[in-house]
Amino acid sequence: MPEVIRRVLVANRGEIALRIIRACHEEHLEAVAVYSEADRLSPHVRAANAAALLGPPPASESYLSIPKLLDAARATGCQAIHPGYGFLAERATFARAVRDAGLVFVGPPAEAIQAMGDKTEARRRMQAAGVPIVPGTIRPLQDAAEAAREAKRTGYPVLLKAVAGGGGKGMRLVTAEGEIASAFAAARSEAVKAFGGGAVYIEKYLERPRHIEIQILADAHGRVIALGERECSIQRRHQKLVEEAPSVAVSPALRRRLSDAATAAAGAVGYVGAGTIEFLLAPGGEFYFLEMNTRIQVEHPVTELVYGVDLVREQLRIAGGQPMRVHPGTLHPRGHAIECRITAEDPFNEFLPATGVLQYLRVPSGPGLRWDGGVEAGNAVTLYYDPLIAKLVAWGETREAAIERMRQALGELVIVGLPTSQAFHLRVMEDPEFLRGEVDITYLERAGPRLRERDLMPGLERAVAVAAALLADERRTSARPQAHSDHSPIRPSTWAVVARQEGLRQ
Amino acid sequence: MVDGVAAETHFAAIPGTPLYHLLMGGDSWTVAAQPLEGVGRWALGAVGERWEVEVVDDRTWQIQALIGRRAGGGHGGVVKAPMPGLVVRIEVAPGQRVAPGAGLVVVEAMKMENELRAAGAGVVTGVHVEVGQAVEKGAPLVTVEAVEATEPLG
Repeated sequence: MPEVIRRVLVANRGEIALRIIRACHEEHLEAVAVYSEADRLSPHVRAANAAALLGPPPASESYLSIPKLLDAARATGCQAIHPGYGFLAERATFARAVRDAGLVFVGPPAEAIQAMGDKTEARRRMQAAGVPIVPGTIRPLQDAAEAAREAKRTGYPVLLKAVAGGGGKGMRLVTAEGEIASAFAAARSEAVKAFGGGAVYIEKYLERPRHIEIQILADAHGRVIALGERECSIQRRHQKLVEEAPSVAVSPALRRRLSDAATAAAGAVGYVGAGTIEFLLAPGGEFYFLEMNTRIQVEHPVTELVYGVDLVREQLRIAGGQPMRVHPGTLHPRGHAIECRITAEDPFNEFLPATGVLQYLRVPSGPGLRWDGGVEAGNAVTLYYDPLIAKLVAWGETREAAIERMRQALGELVIVGLPTSQAFHLRVMEDPEFLRGEVDITYLERAGPRLRERDLMPGLERAVAVAAALLADERRTSARPQAHSDHSPIRPSTWAVVARQEGLRQ
Repeated sequence: MVDGVAAETHFAAIPGTPLYHLLMGGDSWTVAAQPLEGVGRWALGAVGERWEVEVVDDRTWQIQALIGRRAGGGHGGVVKAPMPGLVVRIEVAPGQRVAPGAGLVVVEAMKMENELRAAGAGVVTGVHVEVGQAVEKGAPLVTVEAVEATEPLG
């Protein structure tokens, strides 16, 4: 361990950079922001004690450049680097380079990242540690013939997955033997393109499982604890959209079994820091290890709200060699928390990413709400980085109370300048299946069309049409000044309004 | 008059914001408004929903209806890039028949691949981009001429 940590380089941007900077300050540490030319005016740059320019906007020349980050850390006198999530957070080479530079990596040892990053090695280790894994192979497949043999042994339908995988890349669902050869070739070439390695393996395809994950913390003093589960089944193309804690599908007994499996999994790779073990939970209650995320997760706030633990501050303490402040005896979930990812994506147009300047932002407030944002009015959402604007999190004493609070907060939120996922979330919060807690990883596929077609609020469209007519009228009359009564009823029949809600009901 | 019913309204801009407050028959609504290009065109937002509207008077409405501009337009026409991005795949060739929902072009933006699909049955009459090309929002990608789906399409 090098000298005591006083200054931390935050090797990220957006909401997570701001979140980490705030945690540093609460731990009485100084924080150094890094930024690309596209992020000069981003909130995280202003929030830090110091900031260093990395380079041009493309991530490969800025937030993904290991030499530039190490130079910035040295130039600004940092003793540690926090990677956040995404970018370099799960690159063992980065963790190793930070350590070799004599700095502390706020995260697990490079060896643990590597072990969990190789999906077949992770499956072998989990099996050895007694953690249930999805049936399938634990070694990469040699060729299409072996793929066909193993698929038959496992039983169709199966998933072909990239050994270096993530985000659904290099993944193929195969329902019958006739498709296996072409699917094997496709998965392999996609894996080569995405990860630089074409190794793939087979997993049994489970019908309508839930995505349940367990948050763990491990310190350098040998303690590993679990902080309950998060329900993250509402996903689109393997991107989570809504997360909650606890899950309606997890009883205290199941929570204990999941927690035991998660701490065993972390122990098996010598894990230190905050991490997440993802499981698939079958309708019958059996669960299987899916993968481990060796970093802080986007959705960590829901765990923080129900367990009263600041995970990022614990990460910083653990990185400094201190024991964690959390004691397993005191851990019980209190109430319920829900997170909605507010992204610059158009939910009525296949979630296509949108770019543009955020012209106005009104953040909801009130009891039990948390806004983890990284973009302010005046900032541009660009093509270079992921489209997350903020995470809106609501806590309530029950699931119903948390949902109602989220519904109100989503109604209060105003974002002007570009389409966002806000309206989609509002619709989920009113969906009967979601309200009953009947979610699994196919939820969005099933509910998407129904959600998009629903009329949100009686009278809303009429009010918007009237507002449009009044706006047009205001423009017209302001050209020739006259006494304009604010209180005049709408002029009879002069204006008709064509309201076109794109892709919504046509 | 709204849909033939008289309504008492009070409409006020909220200073320093693009927001307007509408009181209509005592109900309270907050609407965000951004002018778009073109006379009478606005993007309006309320509780996270977004509408692009065009305000027209009765006379224009009737003329447009006569010349068929508002007839809905079928599914043919030029498929444009919905956002700036990079063309990573072209899935059709000129002359090819496409079924509704068939993939046409894949544009990558923000690390996500987005497949643009045919709105209806048609024949591809032009491909305007190449793989690897960077495109601006609104750039023409593919032209699909609408055909009646009288026979099942692959």
